[in-house]
Amino acid sequence: MIDDMPVLDVAGISKRFGDLEVLTDISFTVTRGETVCVLGPSGSGKSTLLRCINWLERPDAGQIYLNGDRIGINNGGVVMSDRELSRVRTRIGMVFQHFALWPHLTVLQNLMEAPVQVQKRPAAEVREEAMALLAKVGLSDKSDVFPARLSGGQKQRVGIARALAMKPDVLLFDEPTSALDPELVGEVLLVMRELAREGRTMVIVTHEMGFARDAATRILFLDRGRVVETGPPERFFVNPDTERARQFIQRYAAG
Amino acid sequence: MSAADVLAILQGAVVTVTLSFVGILVGLPIGLGLALLRWADVPVASRIVAVYVSVLRATPLVTLLLLLFFALPNVGIAIGPVSAAILALVMNTSAFNCEVWRAALMNFPKEQYEAAQSVGMHALLRFRRIVLPQIVRVSLPGLVNEMSLLIKVTPVLAVVGVVDITRAAVRIGAETYEPLPPFLVAIAMYAPIVFALVSLQRFIERRQLAAEAA
Repeated sequence: MIDDMPVLDVAGISKRFGDLEVLTDISFTVTRGETVCVLGPSGSGKSTLLRCINWLERPDAGQIYLNGDRIGINNGGVVMSDRELSRVRTRIGMVFQHFALWPHLTVLQNLMEAPVQVQKRPAAEVREEAMALLAKVGLSDKSDVFPARLSGGQKQRVGIARALAMKPDVLLFDEPTSALDPELVGEVLLVMRELAREGRTMVIVTHEMGFARDAATRILFLDRGRVVETGPPERFFVNPDTERARQFIQRYAAG
Repeated sequence: MSAADVLAILQGAVVTVTLSFVGILVGLPIGLGLALLRWADVPVASRIVAVYVSVLRATPLVTLLLLLFFALPNVGIAIGPVSAAILALVMNTSAFNCEVWRAALMNFPKEQYEAAQSVGMHALLRFRRIVLPQIVRVSLPGLVNEMSLLIKVTPVLAVVGVVDITRAAVRIGAETYEPLPPFLVAIAMYAPIVFALVSLQRFIERRQLAAEAA
């Protein structure tokens, strides 16, 4: 059955930077509608893992499949060209820690850029959808404003809307609230919670334990580049299997 | 100094403006191309560009011009004074422009570039839609600075027989034995040329600011 096929299948990914082994044999799958939160101490390889999925970072070993299609290596078994990779990446949305909005374009133009330039969809139709997305993240009144005039929380909501505008199969979040002032974190998490409720397929690298606990369908706990533990948040936060996870949770609970 | 003399200097001004304009217009994209080769770290090519830029920046324009004008015919390449002048200007200014462009490219925020990759923009699209509009504005002051230097270095082109503003003034001074008036006219002509250039820069910058304030 086609529904059994995971949206994302990560199989045996390894990555090293020089002498440093950042990821070791990471495997996991994400099924349709899942919200997987990737947790772990700083330097455990969470962001690198996310960046390997859409090949912003090239993994040294392992395979990644998106709806059954291999990412990064084409049918001929060779590394994809820039054009081939670009085509695959249209199906994987990414939200960045520092928002990465394009400052020379207005909010609306940020959303419309890729659907119009990459997917070649009619501008009028894209504009309508982009305005709907802005309404969804609560920024309808900011469509003609340049990113420099937005707060961090507003920028990140635009970042999320920009990723959604491509209608990706999966959304990757790379510490989306880490660069925000504490009082602005909530508005971004609210949008992400809504997306989780809608059943968007998401992989979220985060340090927001409260969010992970009640919005994730599954936790992936990384330490020193390995998957140490994976399971539903109820189990992970209350009764984790490993001592390493227990320590991690306690340290966060202590604040 | 007669009206004909003023006209002669004006003709020199046409030469100065034309050669500068061609030098700027050709040198600008070549400089960008060189900078891109280095930025993308294209094997071999990026090393060659680095050497080219170092050598060109270390070579006085007059010396380069004399070399081109007198040496190229020796190896069977016929070259006139105007062609030699344009070639020397382009080689010189492209090396300096390369460094201005390269500085802007090196400072371009990596995350913005990755954002363009992540939405599936291919390399050409990323450059044309995301990188270029932003490095143009960052580089503009440095580029205009280089352009104004280029305009003011054009008098050296006279060594191969090009009659620009300064050369025309020298001639008139020698003929009339009154060097002061022609040189004053000459200096008065450079100012509006450079001023026009700087005004253009201001206009572009102001337009960008206005767009962003909206």
